Amino acid sequence: MSTIDPRIHQVLDGELAADAVPSELRRAVVQLAAAAGLLAAPPASPAASLESRVMAEIRRPVPSRAHRLMRWLVTPRAIILRVRPAWSVAFAVVVAALTLFTADDGGPELAEHEGIAQFVGQFPEAQSVHVVGTFNDWRPGSIALEDHDHDGVWRATVVLPAGTYEYMFVVDGERWVPDHLAERLVADNFGRENSVVIVRPVRR
Amino acid sequence: MRRWVVLALAASPALPLAGQSVRGRLEGRIPSAAIPAVDSLIQFASQDGLPTEPLIQKALEGGAKHVAEPRIVAAVQLSLGQLRDARDLLIRAGDQPPVLPAEMTTVAWALRRGLPTPLVERVAAALGRPPRAAAMHAVADLVAHRFDPDSAVGLIIEAVHDGVPRERLLDVSTAVLQQVQRGHTRAEALAMVQRQLPNLPAPAKPPRGNVAGARRPASPVPP
Repeated sequence: MSTIDPRIHQVLDGELAADAVPSELRRAVVQLAAAAGLLAAPPASPAASLESRVMAEIRRPVPSRAHRLMRWLVTPRAIILRVRPAWSVAFAVVVAALTLFTADDGGPELAEHEGIAQFVGQFPEAQSVHVVGTFNDWRPGSIALEDHDHDGVWRATVVLPAGTYEYMFVVDGERWVPDHLAERLVADNFGRENSVVIVRPVRR
Repeated sequence: MRRWVVLALAASPALPLAGQSVRGRLEGRIPSAAIPAVDSLIQFASQDGLPTEPLIQKALEGGAKHVAEPRIVAAVQLSLGQLRDARDLLIRAGDQPPVLPAEMTTVAWALRRGLPTPLVERVAAALGRPPRAAAMHAVADLVAHRFDPDSAVGLIIEAVHDGVPRERLLDVSTAVLQQVQRGHTRAEALAMVQRQLPNLPAPAKPPRGNVAGARRPASPVPP
């Protein structure tokens, strides 16, 4: 351990002017004075101890469930997806097929002046049922009713221009029957009655 | 009947081209023996400013139903008379000639449904052309369900004056019928709906499945 020149002590203590010492001592005085200044200055922010930092964390209020959920939702995460190309192609084909073949499920596109007429009749023994009227020039055979589940109830749903139409059912190609479910009937001028359907535009 | 047919036959040479297209629709659809008389009646109606499509439809209907030739001619003639009556009624109600074919068809249809002539005339006089047809249907629906005809007409005319749009006039009669189905008397049902005017329950829309399964006939004829 080297000893410090007593003149340096005197200069640092203010007992001796700095100019009164040789230049090499004067440089040592400057360095020592700087070191003393650093030691004497208070720290910018006292370093918190581990204990105090842990306690501060514990004292922080627990975030709400919604907040945690929101944080979980917005936090980016990496997802690793392992796929087999064969299955991926098959899945894509199925999706494309479903999209293509179900595209027409919404039915025909209706114009502003068009509406839907539903014809329903109960004919348990019938082999065929058609509806004829002023909407098809009373032409038998052009609009067939169907009985898919063979329960004797025949149905047809037809797109027609909005308006009032007279009609009858033709059962098995020869028997003319009014629609007993129709709310409106009108004399047909042949001694019988026609059923009447009022088609209202779907887009009103 | 003979007088009409003679008049019609006398008028027929005037419209040869129109007659050809009518004949084209009738040939093969009605007995050939009926075609000249029916065609003449249709030409006569055309000259007289009456709508011809209802007459063509009546002839086609008779042919499809395998009705005998004289009865087809008679039915067409009866329809012609109903259209003339309808036109006269509309002129009495205040319409200026020439009366629109659609108006005549509507009034003739209302009379065939059994609405009394004074009632139809009252509706025609009270309402302008656009809501008239819908109003006739609504009144006819109520009268067919044994509502007092005057009250039914009063309700529908009031609905129009209260601002119910023509496309919703059938909802007025439907709302009244629904009140009866819920156990109210006819008079109560009329009064209840009258109090609610112009508010009406939303009309029922066809189920989506039915719309999806709908199809168009091969060649629909405009009404």
